[in-house]
Amino acid sequence: MIICPNCSHENPDGASYCDSCYTPLPVVTISTCPNCDSPVQSDASFCGNCGFNLKSASEHEKSMTEETDNTSSPEEVPLPAESPISTPEASPPDLSDDDLALVQELIEPHPLTQLQQIGAFLIHVQTNINLELPNNLQVIHIGKPNNMIPPDIDVSGFPDSDIVSRVHADIRFEGNAYYFEDSGSSNGTYINNSVLAAGNRHKLRSGDRISLGKGDRVSFVFQMSS
Amino acid sequence: MSVNLSCDFSDRHLDSSVSTSQRQLAITISVDGSLSVSNTPLNLCLVLDHSGSMGGQPLDTVKKAARDLIDQMSYKDYISIVGFDHRAKVVVENQTLINPESVKEKILYLKAGGGTNIDEGIKLALKELSKSMKSTISQALILTDGENEHGNNDLCLQFAQLAAAEYGITLHTLGFGDYWNQDILEKIADAGGGTMAYIESPDQASAEFQKILRRVQSVGLINAHLILKLAPNVRLAELKPIAQVTPETIELEPEKNLNTYIVRLGDLMLGNDRTIMLNLYINHNPDQIVAASTANTIHAVTAQIRYDDPQSKLEGLLSPEVTADLTLIKDFQPQINPQVQSSILALAKYRQTQLAETKLKQGDRTGAVTMLQSAAKTALQMGDQQAATVLQANATTLQSGTDLSEAERKQTRMVSKTILQIPTNQISTNQIPTE
Repeated sequence: MIICPNCSHENPDGASYCDSCYTPLPVVTISTCPNCDSPVQSDASFCGNCGFNLKSASEHEKSMTEETDNTSSPEEVPLPAESPISTPEASPPDLSDDDLALVQELIEPHPLTQLQQIGAFLIHVQTNINLELPNNLQVIHIGKPNNMIPPDIDVSGFPDSDIVSRVHADIRFEGNAYYFEDSGSSNGTYINNSVLAAGNRHKLRSGDRISLGKGDRVSFVFQMSS
Repeated sequence: MSVNLSCDFSDRHLDSSVSTSQRQLAITISVDGSLSVSNTPLNLCLVLDHSGSMGGQPLDTVKKAARDLIDQMSYKDYISIVGFDHRAKVVVENQTLINPESVKEKILYLKAGGGTNIDEGIKLALKELSKSMKSTISQALILTDGENEHGNNDLCLQFAQLAAAEYGITLHTLGFGDYWNQDILEKIADAGGGTMAYIESPDQASAEFQKILRRVQSVGLINAHLILKLAPNVRLAELKPIAQVTPETIELEPEKNLNTYIVRLGDLMLGNDRTIMLNLYINHNPDQIVAASTANTIHAVTAQIRYDDPQSKLEGLLSPEVTADLTLIKDFQPQINPQVQSSILALAKYRQTQLAETKLKQGDRTGAVTMLQSAAKTALQMGDQQAATVLQANATTLQSGTDLSEAERKQTRMVSKTILQIPTNQISTNQIPTE
């Protein structure tokens, strides 16, 4: 069963358009994790069972096949998988060094800990950057640098971040679940394309799409690994 | 005259590795004929509202529009006119147009006064039309400016269904001004196999009458039914699986008989293609793929049209059968058919607008705004800028806390149901500005 993100109609398996409102539905197919052989959704970034980074595995595979295919033009070396550090371009100059370090720390993959990560991630949709949620905090502030509530997740480096408020939203960790709430942003927060009213909280599930501001321009997909 | 059928799937390949796939099938029906206008006599009945609210300029322009319409008709055609307020009476009895001037004179006698009772009007129209049903194209044009306050809306609908299914009479509806009920007029037109028109201001009356007359005059074949046979592993979606998308969007109710479905299409027009869209689910064994290429083809749907030809007085004619095939392939890559895609978008626009109206009726204003915005986005995607503008403007009005005016509600219904402008098929990347 696939629930339509637009009208909540329950569609049968195999549906690519919602039977009710004809909104294109997310394509969900099941494949297996190359590390532990447990079933994972094809659009997942990490294996739900062992936390294996599926994205890097598939990119690695892709570049391998490209290399073998491109025998005719040996000088064309396939580009390495896009480096996450270079993507958040045009960081505002008023960002302090500490903030930068924080952003980079959040963004930078930790190759050693990847196989045993416990916790949750936000995947920035527009740049495909994974942000690990700091697991020592009960409230994680999302926003841009300001002198009232410093953000734990600073989105000022991402494209279109001008539509995100300085104090935009919070993720709360309570009793093994993550909750998302808008902390009075100017442009609002959308969860799975529905507006999250101020004062409401949304219990996050893996695969939820969070958009800061309108127009789906600064969006994250929430992923939880057990 | 002959009927041409063509079938296109949204994607004619199926991924062999998944067991259930959804596909949309667009069936386009066209009539081949040497003429663009059929020369079968028309049997037309004008059903005109002359209730008190029509008094003054509205009734005068409607009278003029009706007289202009008669000037456009042929002397072989049959005409009858029914006037209604809270009762209905025959103004012009069913007759051939040998003496158009006397008919036109009788129209002038219509006086404004009384309430509105649409079903009485329809009932009398069917009675008049039934006098000259043989080898004619029988159609009723129903014009009203108000709520059916003295009548029964369910009765209207039953008459419309009866007219279409039993007698092969098509009903068109024209809403005049802003206070008619778009739900009931749409239902009458959909059940009666006709079109719904919106006369926003009196001066458009004549143009809308002419538009319907042109449509009526282009009717070549009548009482058409689409007969669908599905392969055993193919099923229709449970929710509203069949809809017409061109010339206007209409939800169709199939009649089921074993694995055969019959859908009533009504009139087939010359030079005006019909597109019917099916929403299907196909099951197959994931390991079914075999080396021989022919075995991987699924003859999913067989379509055929049954129709009457009033010109040659032949009934129950059958078009050749057309089979829509799907092919199972191993390394599946989506290959979307752009024509079917635009049909999907047209239906999406209609459904999303309908959902927005339902949400609004339930008092869910934010839900309605979001749904209207999706509908506006869908309209932009299909290149229907005009619909996008109307839908987005309505979303903004609702968002600001203002209710939609009656005129806006009617406009919304019209833009959701039809494509007012020829789509440019350009995928627009316009963004709604935020900050």
